[in-house]
Amino acid sequence: MKLLEYEAKILLAKSNIAIPSGTVVTDPSLLNVPVVLKSQVPIGGRGKTGGIIIVDNKADVASTVEKLLRLDIKGFTPRTILAEDKLSIKRELYISLLIDRQSAAIQLIAHKNGGVEVEENTDFKTWNANEQPAGVLGQELADYYELPEQTFALQDLVENLKACFVQNDATLIEINPLIITADNELIAGDCKMTLDDAAAFRHEWHFEEKPAEANFVTIDPNGTTATIANGAGLAMATVDAAFDAGLAPANFLDIGGGANEETLLRAFHRIVEYENLQAIIINIFAGITRADEVARAIVSAKAKITDLPPLFIRLAGTNYEAASDILTKEGIIIMPNLSACLEAAQKVVKKVAHA
Amino acid sequence: MHNMFEGKNGTPNVIVQGITGAHGSFQTKAMLAAGTNIIAGTTPGKAGQTVEGVPVYDAIKDIQAEHTVDISVIFVPARFAKGAILEAIQANVALIICITEGIPVHDMLAVNERLKTSGSVLLGPNSPGALLPGVAKLGIIPAAMSLPGSTAIVSRSGTLTYETMAGLSEKGIGQKYVIGIGGDMIHGMGYKECLDLFENDTDVDTIVLIGEIGGQDEIEAAAYMQTHITKPVFAYVAGHHAPAGVQLGHAGAILGSDQESAGNKTNALKEAGATTAGSITELIELIAHTR
Repeated sequence: MKLLEYEAKILLAKSNIAIPSGTVVTDPSLLNVPVVLKSQVPIGGRGKTGGIIIVDNKADVASTVEKLLRLDIKGFTPRTILAEDKLSIKRELYISLLIDRQSAAIQLIAHKNGGVEVEENTDFKTWNANEQPAGVLGQELADYYELPEQTFALQDLVENLKACFVQNDATLIEINPLIITADNELIAGDCKMTLDDAAAFRHEWHFEEKPAEANFVTIDPNGTTATIANGAGLAMATVDAAFDAGLAPANFLDIGGGANEETLLRAFHRIVEYENLQAIIINIFAGITRADEVARAIVSAKAKITDLPPLFIRLAGTNYEAASDILTKEGIIIMPNLSACLEAAQKVVKKVAHA
Repeated sequence: MHNMFEGKNGTPNVIVQGITGAHGSFQTKAMLAAGTNIIAGTTPGKAGQTVEGVPVYDAIKDIQAEHTVDISVIFVPARFAKGAILEAIQANVALIICITEGIPVHDMLAVNERLKTSGSVLLGPNSPGALLPGVAKLGIIPAAMSLPGSTAIVSRSGTLTYETMAGLSEKGIGQKYVIGIGGDMIHGMGYKECLDLFENDTDVDTIVLIGEIGGQDEIEAAAYMQTHITKPVFAYVAGHHAPAGVQLGHAGAILGSDQESAGNKTNALKEAGATTAGSITELIELIAHTR
């Protein structure tokens, strides 16, 4: 789960990492100027798209808040506006912690020049944060940033950042910029944080709901063929094969392990929104999923959604026989493999295209 | 080299951790039907029960008082899975296969640290396990679509593993090993260990490597192939049409940079000597043509 800036900063503050003094806007008339108003959307690049506004006149605060609440940023409009004190910035740095797949360890990443252009850089400095204590890492950071006078502060920061990372089951904490103020204080100017959804059971998380659905991705809104598969790999392979067969896949969808009627119905409802939709490919290979449950879900979806285009179904694996019985009774054909599905779909899609 | 899938005496003694749960009991039945030598299972507090005729114990050490244990297959729910894996490591189980999906990544970091100083090998988590057609089913790979033979499949994706296996079986091409290494960020056995296993097993004549977008695993596998693998390798990397920067399905599959794209990985594998395909169908055709 990706947190919004203000949510991430609450967790930073709990771990004794300095953040700008600020508040979530409830009553704009209570804010003092100058104030930095920041749109809370779950996407980067706010600064460049007008999502961060400094207001100097008290009279303009309320209207600016209204404006930000209406401003669409890359498909997201905020529910919350964060108001922060304006800082006097001497320097902007970059620091982050993430889990590195290759070393199977927590990695510390730094860059001397933080701020909105940081992604343009390729010369990031990295450390294995599992292998070295915070004291050593802080010392090396101070050397790298060329800020010897900040050694103690950086050692503290690394210690607290690591604690924040582990205690919150984070997979990413990115402080960018890490600000050095005119008073030589280290303050987290902005923060992106991702928490591991799998660890939700051991936390009391109360965060704003965000549009998640990582398993459903539109590839081409004008595509003719929707795809449904279980497992990310099979879903990607299904899209690859559909492209190769000359079909235009509209989406990627992994309904995951243990797919049931509800997940499948939700998927169908989204899919039928595609304007040029002419065929739906369903490619399920049941391992932990049980094919008969998928079959029941398909029957139910066909009954509940009237304008479904033709379904081309490949279903195999655990409880296949029961699934076959259920679908055959309803007159629904199961194809022997994905190639057969694609060939059959090609005929239908072409027919419509020529008509 | 000792083959951990064969156990100490040729037929491995297999246990199931979490045997009384919904998945554990269901899959135990399927594993037994596929010929797996399951000698016992564990669920804390359920000692004395049986599942499909298999005796249940509270803990692995209780089983070990009476039997040797070569392989453990874990179906324990995600929140308890770290404890289950650590228990198996503590009990010196040579091969630990964790099917459980959704284990917190910080739990796996801790498991990984412990593994480094142990003699155990972990396959998974979030893995479909391994299938040795006609010999043993160690996990959830559907045995019905397999065929005994001389190819060996390794894949990061569960269902794509099945797809490849079924495609080969349809063409009459059998498998010695079908292994899913799992899609999680932090996992045990990788491509490298599987490539070694296949290279050293004289029954294997063809290696099939299935990858996907995200991470560097396939790039590293390609580099390893160049220096260590002499047998023919056929490869397919899923996600040629994946949009950049979007997480597809599970944690592993995020296309972060061009280097992590299906195209780049396919090229790396090709340069390392693999025969590469753009889809599973093409992959199966390519393998069939050589036989």
